[in-house]
Amino acid sequence: MSDFFTEAVLIATVAGGIRLAVPLLLAALGETFGQRSGVLNLGVDGIMLLGAFTGYYTVLKTGNVWYGLLAGIAIGIVLGLASSLISVTLQAEQGISGIGVYLFGLGMSDLLFQRLVGTPVPITKFPKIDIPGLSDIPWLGGMFFSHSVVVYLAFLSVPVAMFIINKTNFGMNIRAVGENPEAADSLGVSVSRVRYATVTIGGTLAGAAGAALAIDLGIFQQNLTNAQGFIAIALVYFGAWRPLGVMAGALLYGFVNSLVLQFKTLGIIPQSWSDIAAMAPAIITILALVIVARRFRAPSALTKPFTRGT
Amino acid sequence: MADVPMLEMKGITKRFPGVLANDNVDFDLYAGEVHTLLGENGAGKSTLMKVLYGLYQADEGEMRLNGEPVTITSPTSAIEHNIGMIHQHFMLVDTLTVAENVALGLHSSRGALTDLDAVSEKIVDLGSQYGLEIDPAATVWQLAVGQKQRVEIIKALYREAQLLILDEPTAVLTPQEVDQLFETLNQMTADGRGLIFISHKLHEVLALSDRITVLRQGRVTGYTTTEGATRASLASMMVGRDVKLAPDKPEVETGSAALEITGLRVIGDRGNVVIDGLDLDVRRGEILGIAGVSGNGQRELAETIAGLRDAEAGSISIAGTDVTNGRPVDVRAAGLAYVPEGRMKDGSIGLFTVAENLLLIDHNSKEFLDAGLLNFDAIRTHSQTLVDEFAVKTPSLDTPVRSLSGGNIQKLILARELSGTPNVLIASQPTRGVDIGAAEYIHKRLVAQRSEDTAILVISEDLDEIFGLSDRIAVMYEGRIMGIVDTSITREEIGLMMAGVTREEAAAG
Amino acid sequence: MSRNAWIWLGVAAAALLVIIIVAVSGGDDETTETTVAAETTTTAEETTTTAGETTTTVEGETTTTAAETTTTAAAAEPIRIAIVAPSASNDLAFTQSIVDAVNVIEGEREVAEVAVTDGTFVVDDAAAAIRDYAASGFDLVIAHGSQYGGSLQEIAPDFPETTFAWGTAADTFGLSNVFAYEAASDEGGYVMGVLGAALTETGTIGIVGPVEVGDAKLYVDGYKAGAEANDSGVTVNINYTGSFSDVALASEAAQAHAAAGADIMTGTAQMVVGAVGVAADQGIPWFGTQANQTSLAPEIVVASQVYKWEIVLRQILDDMAAGTLGGSVYVIDLANEGLAIEYNDGFALSAEVKALGDQAIADIIAGAVEPTG
Ligand SMILES: Nc1ncnc2c1ncn2[C@@H]1O[C@H](COP(=O)(O)OP(=O)(O)O)[C@@H](O)[C@H]1O
Ligand SMILES: [Mg+2]
Repeated sequence: MSDFFTEAVLIATVAGGIRLAVPLLLAALGETFGQRSGVLNLGVDGIMLLGAFTGYYTVLKTGNVWYGLLAGIAIGIVLGLASSLISVTLQAEQGISGIGVYLFGLGMSDLLFQRLVGTPVPITKFPKIDIPGLSDIPWLGGMFFSHSVVVYLAFLSVPVAMFIINKTNFGMNIRAVGENPEAADSLGVSVSRVRYATVTIGGTLAGAAGAALAIDLGIFQQNLTNAQGFIAIALVYFGAWRPLGVMAGALLYGFVNSLVLQFKTLGIIPQSWSDIAAMAPAIITILALVIVARRFRAPSALTKPFTRGT
Repeated sequence: MADVPMLEMKGITKRFPGVLANDNVDFDLYAGEVHTLLGENGAGKSTLMKVLYGLYQADEGEMRLNGEPVTITSPTSAIEHNIGMIHQHFMLVDTLTVAENVALGLHSSRGALTDLDAVSEKIVDLGSQYGLEIDPAATVWQLAVGQKQRVEIIKALYREAQLLILDEPTAVLTPQEVDQLFETLNQMTADGRGLIFISHKLHEVLALSDRITVLRQGRVTGYTTTEGATRASLASMMVGRDVKLAPDKPEVETGSAALEITGLRVIGDRGNVVIDGLDLDVRRGEILGIAGVSGNGQRELAETIAGLRDAEAGSISIAGTDVTNGRPVDVRAAGLAYVPEGRMKDGSIGLFTVAENLLLIDHNSKEFLDAGLLNFDAIRTHSQTLVDEFAVKTPSLDTPVRSLSGGNIQKLILARELSGTPNVLIASQPTRGVDIGAAEYIHKRLVAQRSEDTAILVISEDLDEIFGLSDRIAVMYEGRIMGIVDTSITREEIGLMMAGVTREEAAAG
Repeated sequence: MSRNAWIWLGVAAAALLVIIIVAVSGGDDETTETTVAAETTTTAEETTTTAGETTTTVEGETTTTAAETTTTAAAAEPIRIAIVAPSASNDLAFTQSIVDAVNVIEGEREVAEVAVTDGTFVVDDAAAAIRDYAASGFDLVIAHGSQYGGSLQEIAPDFPETTFAWGTAADTFGLSNVFAYEAASDEGGYVMGVLGAALTETGTIGIVGPVEVGDAKLYVDGYKAGAEANDSGVTVNINYTGSFSDVALASEAAQAHAAAGADIMTGTAQMVVGAVGVAADQGIPWFGTQANQTSLAPEIVVASQVYKWEIVLRQILDDMAAGTLGGSVYVIDLANEGLAIEYNDGFALSAEVKALGDQAIADIIAGAVEPTG
């Protein structure tokens, strides 16, 4: 255990937890917007995968990570709009249609990868930015202020999301539409416009999350996200539909994962327990979910399509 | 009154698949008046108003506002035309604050950001002007029903509604809250606003309206000014024949207490105490009415007596048999008949046929068993007798119950429950949502059962019903009986007791 | 929203996570794949397409013989070979190794047709593909995944004229038309462990694995044994992430190794590309296995253990030509050159160190060393 309390290991644990949290955080924040407005998008993981491939491929071709991120965002917007069309305009059953989007993203990203790339080739990664001054702080600097640039962007988007949801008219409309769309509609708030916007925001952030994942790893592979999009959806519930809660959930999941990895590496968790320990993050998240779920209520209109006058 | 009506609706027709909800309806409204739309459930009142508010598009007909033809295609355009609507079911977002609910859909003075401070200020102003005091920072789910309604009215006033539609606004209010609401509404007409009021509570209609239009089955079947109208005349316009609003009650000698409840304490679904030290006796040959705003433990009381819910403390006995926490069968065996408040949810099985539903409680009785199997001939004969006797309008015994009207389902349940000779009958909201004709019949049957020496407990939110049926009235508030009174008590006193004031205080105040 | 709805949501979320856990911890052995259907479909002509898997059919160019062909009792008529494998054909790992091998065979023998169905991590999908191939007259159907054993046991008796090959496995179920094949991947692991121990300066080596079973376990154990044999003072940290497909987790496992002081790393299975990336960033020398991983990080890959399944395929084809349709278990190892250590020319490895590796290979072939005895 004493091996664990060294500067290098503690920094790696915390910094690793933060890194692992980033794609989850971005995707879950996006999903939070959709769910607060009453739309459950189960296709997050599919959008992440296509965002990941698009981001990866763009960087492979251009060598520019920012183009890659933008490409991931662009594909996220397109898929977000498509998801809105499916769930808002066509009013498809949300528990099923999202799985369709997921399967599409999973198959399409792999197909494109096989066709256009084939064998995995490493790409340029995001630059690491040491925040002047702060990154030199012993211990803490390495944990919090020496990360790739998307890490900062992801965490910055938390207060931005909070601000939008709580302080703007758009945010108020989102909350109203997710809770009582009839009421919002009767006051002239366009339910479908709000939901198109939120689901598209969700797609955008999912695309960004996928691109961030691929470009941070510097590689693409079939099913790169490994169901992170579904974990992100669970985190939205865990976070009780609030950006801060979602961030807490993503960090919890990331940290537990990182901690388990460190413990395995150092032999603190014996090798024979390895497979069981791998489940720890999921189990802890489920438990937290159960505890939180008792105290918070989901948006009342979640998963319910809206038609005027019924 | 101005010469040009602020609203004219001419020849409005609205069809739903299989239903002609509005059939060539004319309706108008002048500034400064209350024009009531009266009619039974399903008459088409809400539909007509939703057409006006842009929630539905009329299939035929035209509308004019202040003489100008208009088409209103959405709530937004209704709001732009200064029309406000208070819906039958509150259109409030429970998780938002009062100010947010009011600000929803409005342009903000701060652009993309909310300007809740300014909105709150104006809410407070409007509140003091119209007697609609409310805390703008309160979250809506924390508010009482009457307060929620204030928020609805403020929403309309905030948007400068000149024409305000109120769709059954009193359905959920206590008599005091109704009085307060009417004061506010009178003030609004004094300001020159026009109000369309929807209700089927006749005394309220008479108290508030200037003019009354009656709808039946989508058509205008009556029009009158309030002078000269009576409850009876309005009721007959609604039903299309003369109706008796209060049943004739013969003198009956009351007997022993058939239902005795002492010290009853019950925990509700959310773990809170919903009935708290309740004592009650109902004697043979009497109807005891329980008045109160719903949600004060009435439902739980009925369920506990019927054995559907456990008592934490106290005892219940029926005709001398202790049935505390007994199973429903045991309670029935002791002589309880129970007409629950949820007709479709608890009282019947919608997919089952009329005959099957009539059999629901009797299926173990020897009469219908033939060597352990159901004897279908006996069942059919029995069912047909009941259907005839209770005047249940059904195409056949094999019709699924859910396709019957509310009144007929209720009669069916009553037929089933009264087919034995119960010691005690509990009827929860027996005529809620039932048309006047069926209500009249149900009342007659309850009074007849009283003459059969049954002890009857009627739970109702409808004070007219309570006054018309009861020999004694118990008022329930927050799980306790505030007092037991006779029918000479005034509506005002009952109203105060329903709001938690004891009888002595009510009589004094 | 009612309490019921809440319970429902809780259950749904829990179920979701359970599904994720199951997916993450993977099936057994070489399941280098954990996704749901919908794989690539790169198809040429008369293909047998099964529920969304890739089916690549390559027309065999009738090559008479290739240069270094071993003594071949060349089959009388061209044969048809089918492969069913769990991950992508170009995964630089498990599935690619068999596809490459069949391509080699195609250049040597009279092969009329090669068909590949990859991405069938769902065993039922694989079983359907295996049965289809057998039914449509393929002479040799290779079920490349130890999780396919149960299916094979059911299918093989129905097609007594067809030869089935099952790997990696050591059991033919006593069936006369089933061959089994496996790799002694601990041997190459051992050799590279010796090299790793010679290279480390911190005395700590990090290994990233998927789940502690089958081929992965064999390799990891061999590597550890080799490292410790060369230098008993070396610390070998092993991290099984619990997933064959979680690239991000593999990447963080490598970060953890680095933090714990590892200056040499290796790893096995498909998700390991994430760890290679971290090693490359930090300039930590890397050893690969299952395929030559030099292209992933040309600066830091020292060497890779490469599987040459063509060795066992030749044995199987020879048996078939001789009329024996199954019954044997074949192993690729250093001795039969089915396993090869391929060095990265771009990595400056000193002659002394390389000599240690050569010595280890010689010792193993001579039987003087038991990699995981
Ligand atoms: N959205 C709808 N779809 C189909 N039928 C409807 C709809 N809304 C109302 N109706 C039918 O139209 C009739 C009038 O309903 P409504 O206007 O709500 O009556 P009221 O408000 O007078 O009780 C009823 O038969 C009702 O079932
Ligand atoms: Mg109505």
